[in-house]
Amino acid sequence: MSGKASSSQASIGGLGSGSVSHVFIQYPPLRCNIPGSRGFYYDDGNKLLLSPTSNQVFSWKTAPFSPNAAPNIDSITEGPICSIRFSLDEKLIAVQRSNTSIQFFHRETGETFTHRCKSESESILGFFWTDCPSCDIVVVKTSGLDLYAYDHALKSLALVETKKMTVSWYVYTHESRLVLLASGMQCKTFHGFQLSSVGIIRLPKFEMVMAKPEANSKPVLASEDVYIVTVYGRIYCLQVDRVAMVLHSYRFYRDAIIQQGSLPIYSHKVAVNSRAPISAPLPVLFRGFPRSDSFTSRPGTKESESLEASDSNDNEAIIYGDGWTFLVPDLICDIANKRLWKIHLDLEAISASSSEVPSVLEFLQRRKLEANKAKQLCLAITRTMILERRPINMVAKAMDVLVTSYALSLKTGSYFKGIKTERTPSSVPNVSGPGQGEDVNTGRTDGLGKSVQQESASRVNSVSVGRSSNYSSETEDSSSFEPLKISSNDAQFDSGKVDTGARSSATGNPLNASVSEQQESQLTSPAISPDEMYRFVFAPAEEEMIGEPSYLVSIILEFFRSANLEKVKVNPNLYVLTVQLLARSEQYAELGLFVINKIIEPSKEVALQLLESGRQNFQIRKLGSDMLRQVSLHQDYVLLLVQDGYYLEALRYARKHKVTTIRPSLFLEAAMTSNDSQHLAAVLRFFSDFIPGFHSTSDFSTYYHILNEMNSSSVVA
Amino acid sequence: MGLSSIGTANEEGVQLCIFDLRRGQREGQELDKILYFFPADLPLSSQLSVIGLSEGLITFTRIFSPDAACEVIEAERHSHVFYEAEPDIWMVMIVAKSKEAEAIWRIDALREVLKEIHSLFVMFHGCIRTLLDKEPGGGLTRAHLYPFVMDYLRDFLFGKKLQLPSFRDCLKERRTVQMLTVGREAAIEVQTLVRILESSAGNMPCFSLILFQDLLVSTTLSPEDTINMFTYAVLRLTPLALFSGAKSWSYLRKGNSSSHVSTGSTLFSTGSVLEQFYGSRDASPAGDNRYHVTRPLQHDKWFKGKDGFLVTDIWGGDIGSLNVTTPTVWLQQTEERMYLCAYQYKSLTLILLIPLSSILNGDQGVSIVKQQLLENASLKILKVEEKLSKGWGGENAYHVSGYRYLLVNGNRDISRASPPAKVTTLAKESLLALNKLREEVDAEKNRAKWDNPGREKDLEVCIRVKNNAWAIACITGGKELYMVLEKANETLLYASDAVEKFSNRYCNGAFSLD
Repeated sequence: MSGKASSSQASIGGLGSGSVSHVFIQYPPLRCNIPGSRGFYYDDGNKLLLSPTSNQVFSWKTAPFSPNAAPNIDSITEGPICSIRFSLDEKLIAVQRSNTSIQFFHRETGETFTHRCKSESESILGFFWTDCPSCDIVVVKTSGLDLYAYDHALKSLALVETKKMTVSWYVYTHESRLVLLASGMQCKTFHGFQLSSVGIIRLPKFEMVMAKPEANSKPVLASEDVYIVTVYGRIYCLQVDRVAMVLHSYRFYRDAIIQQGSLPIYSHKVAVNSRAPISAPLPVLFRGFPRSDSFTSRPGTKESESLEASDSNDNEAIIYGDGWTFLVPDLICDIANKRLWKIHLDLEAISASSSEVPSVLEFLQRRKLEANKAKQLCLAITRTMILERRPINMVAKAMDVLVTSYALSLKTGSYFKGIKTERTPSSVPNVSGPGQGEDVNTGRTDGLGKSVQQESASRVNSVSVGRSSNYSSETEDSSSFEPLKISSNDAQFDSGKVDTGARSSATGNPLNASVSEQQESQLTSPAISPDEMYRFVFAPAEEEMIGEPSYLVSIILEFFRSANLEKVKVNPNLYVLTVQLLARSEQYAELGLFVINKIIEPSKEVALQLLESGRQNFQIRKLGSDMLRQVSLHQDYVLLLVQDGYYLEALRYARKHKVTTIRPSLFLEAAMTSNDSQHLAAVLRFFSDFIPGFHSTSDFSTYYHILNEMNSSSVVA
Repeated sequence: MGLSSIGTANEEGVQLCIFDLRRGQREGQELDKILYFFPADLPLSSQLSVIGLSEGLITFTRIFSPDAACEVIEAERHSHVFYEAEPDIWMVMIVAKSKEAEAIWRIDALREVLKEIHSLFVMFHGCIRTLLDKEPGGGLTRAHLYPFVMDYLRDFLFGKKLQLPSFRDCLKERRTVQMLTVGREAAIEVQTLVRILESSAGNMPCFSLILFQDLLVSTTLSPEDTINMFTYAVLRLTPLALFSGAKSWSYLRKGNSSSHVSTGSTLFSTGSVLEQFYGSRDASPAGDNRYHVTRPLQHDKWFKGKDGFLVTDIWGGDIGSLNVTTPTVWLQQTEERMYLCAYQYKSLTLILLIPLSSILNGDQGVSIVKQQLLENASLKILKVEEKLSKGWGGENAYHVSGYRYLLVNGNRDISRASPPAKVTTLAKESLLALNKLREEVDAEKNRAKWDNPGREKDLEVCIRVKNNAWAIACITGGKELYMVLEKANETLLYASDAVEKFSNRYCNGAFSLD
């Protein structure tokens, strides 16, 4: 791993050195060792880790994650447990007891009731709660879907709708609100429904690709081989074709399912290159971890140092094991040791590991969990990139990424929701440490070890991670996952509410993860406003860069271009800075064009700077005074005219635009210094006519006297 | 006075001479003064008498006004327009006031022609004085001036007649630049392109000029250099100039240049006088002789190469083998000689100027820069051309219906006017009136310049013409607006309203003071 990673670290300049793994888990884990536990269940709708005993359910909140979280304890009756899910308002606990019945417990009142299949021929495959407006719970049966509403008064389920079809098995994630129902001989024919708060969308029926090993044998697709993946709000499906050893990916749209591409899989080839004893591949990193972008190509785990040091008394030292199960979005349940780990992305490490700065920024801009950190990193990276005078087209791309992200955050409102963060002086923590050697090299897409994502409420402990094997793709080139990567110009990963308009593809409506969940996680945004761009990137860069400012102007120009495309308003101070830079290098012709063509938008600040910079250049000064008039700064314009000796023009202008705030004495004095008695008389007359009571002011008498003297002296002469 | 006698030699024609007051001061050496004379076949005695008269007038007026001697002499049948191009180097143009009514001139417009000749000459050959110092005999200077001015005047040739700017051109302003109005987005793209262009030469300080059709889009040159380079580009480099015979709507190229070659030879006939004078005793005046003279204004000498760069053999080399010497120009701002690289893509002409001093291996170095330019900028050029073409409203883009106007921004040497085709619809009377008005305004401006240097004069004149048109001139803050309104209402209020509307709409309200 390395050549590339280390060289690129150096080029990023000062951002975390030496850390090559992109993911780490933080010690301590949440310990969830309950005596008499009958396994673990993950309720992804509420992000709860559940552990039932014979008559109780222990539940830990996993979001926000805290290793010290205390479990809630609810009583249930004894009996077999196929799966458990809390209702979305967390008032009811639903326990599937068998393939024909589901039992409900009211957590406050303790009331219970049982829902049973009516017909003998069908059996319950599973169920999930939904925030769909018309129903509360969906029961998946071999004969199709039953949608029920919970009736509070009657304490029972009322059937709302039935979708009839044969179902062999299904996968569902709450994150995507998507249920995929497999049917057919090979279980490769799929029906799909998205049940979100905006309603139910029925997807067109589609088939997954299956290779045939021999002429007559037909492999059956297993539920373990199909995963719903949500990446930045877009929904994909990954399918393992065990015969061809290929991973297929599909993207869901409202009206179509488009196959995106395939990757070869090399079975049982998890590359564990680690030299350190305590380390593990994160086989499920790609898929279990929806927000990790495909270019974070070499996921691995990194132990925190404290882990090594402190855990010697128990077997916590063995972190990775077969008992690891990956939970959506960022949890690892260690079933064997009854622990829950939270996975963290090492943003600094990721930033440092790629020289593709625009891609890194793109990635960081999508971070919502550590928004502030991501933002500070983005600012530092951008600043560094400019100071290092990277090629302009690369910086241009970076600007595009940042501005697009900001525009998007404005559209979705997340920018203002976000907590305004103060600048931290140096946001470049050094992440190198003793742990740095413990990196693990695994393939990027490896190992779709059994994840609970698609059937989160199923028995976690019944799943053998090892059995389903870890797949590792050895494709080196991150572009092979391009289909999943989201182009930054694409607004599709916007929430489903926004109509994404015309797409080049035939399918108009990408299917998105539900709105509510997106907004939930958008409390803060790493988006950088033009104001912050000015304060934390351009202004410091200007201070630090010595010599020819031409490069910086080029960069600013690229920023203007991006901002203009996204219709984002630029901070007037940046325009002022541009004027200063161009004037400093005496590029007056260019400056003139910038102003005339409104690349530099008119404002008072710019006008004043033009006047200031125009001390050396008449044309530029003229542009400044024109701009004053243009932005209707009448008083400033009149003052400027008087100052330049054009007092008659100033009076004319003042009269027209009703500027009354300027002292008459200014005009009178200007007229007097011009030594033209006619003009002085005219100005005096002007004020006498238009200012009531001017005759009685001292100004009048003073200048009347002066006028008389001027006249008498000229008569004498 | 002797004025009329001069005229008889060339009754309806134009005379143009360039002479040096510091030369030929001794009797018998008067011929030394003459650096250029048109028509060249005028007997030397007549040439001397024209120059002698001019010299006398200059000497006389200098008594009263040492810093600015005479600008114009209006005789009964001729106007003499004076221009001191360099200290003691004068250009004088004599035009006949013919009874034929077309020969009505605006003196300042004629002087602008003289200025244009001189500044273009300096751009290619450097100052006249420098040439004279280089070879005190004057032969070198004459050998350069003669073909240069001749090539320049050919652009004014219609049939056998020189047509200098007359009253019909009163809605035009020479020595200004016409600009393309672009939107913000396109402007940003253009400026990005400029930066890519200028980075093609590495870290050398270069300059660039971008034109769309015959309009300026961007420049990084000083105002003066911009005007010269722009003028040359429009005369010889833009697509319309390149394909001679194509109809032009820029007033810089008036005639149909293809007709010049054949008809020109009769007017610009060579003679013994020339041989004696313009450096060639044994060959044609403009041809190869003992001086190596480049003729940058020669017609039909620029071609578009396969790689998109414009090539010419004017500076030497063989166009067939494409092994040509790179043209060079002299910039006033940097006082440095620059290589001129012109690239053309559709309507877009890009000119890159690279200092000679920064390229060590000459043409080879230039071709490396060209290669770099193609590699860096090709995509952007495509994009910019597309953007500009989309926003381009055609040759009548700047027509404002109901108005015939000329807008001059003296601060930036920019002008914009009604398209020539629209101006021709005006009655002769209206044009004559505006021409007269402009003469008055010119006089007023000149007076103000002397009375109060550095001060701008505000002025507003509306004149009701006999044919019931309005001729209007407004000057404020260095900007000038001239317009003719025909078929307009008779009240002055109407006229000033029309100005106000125009000003608010097209001039950011610059002329709406009351």
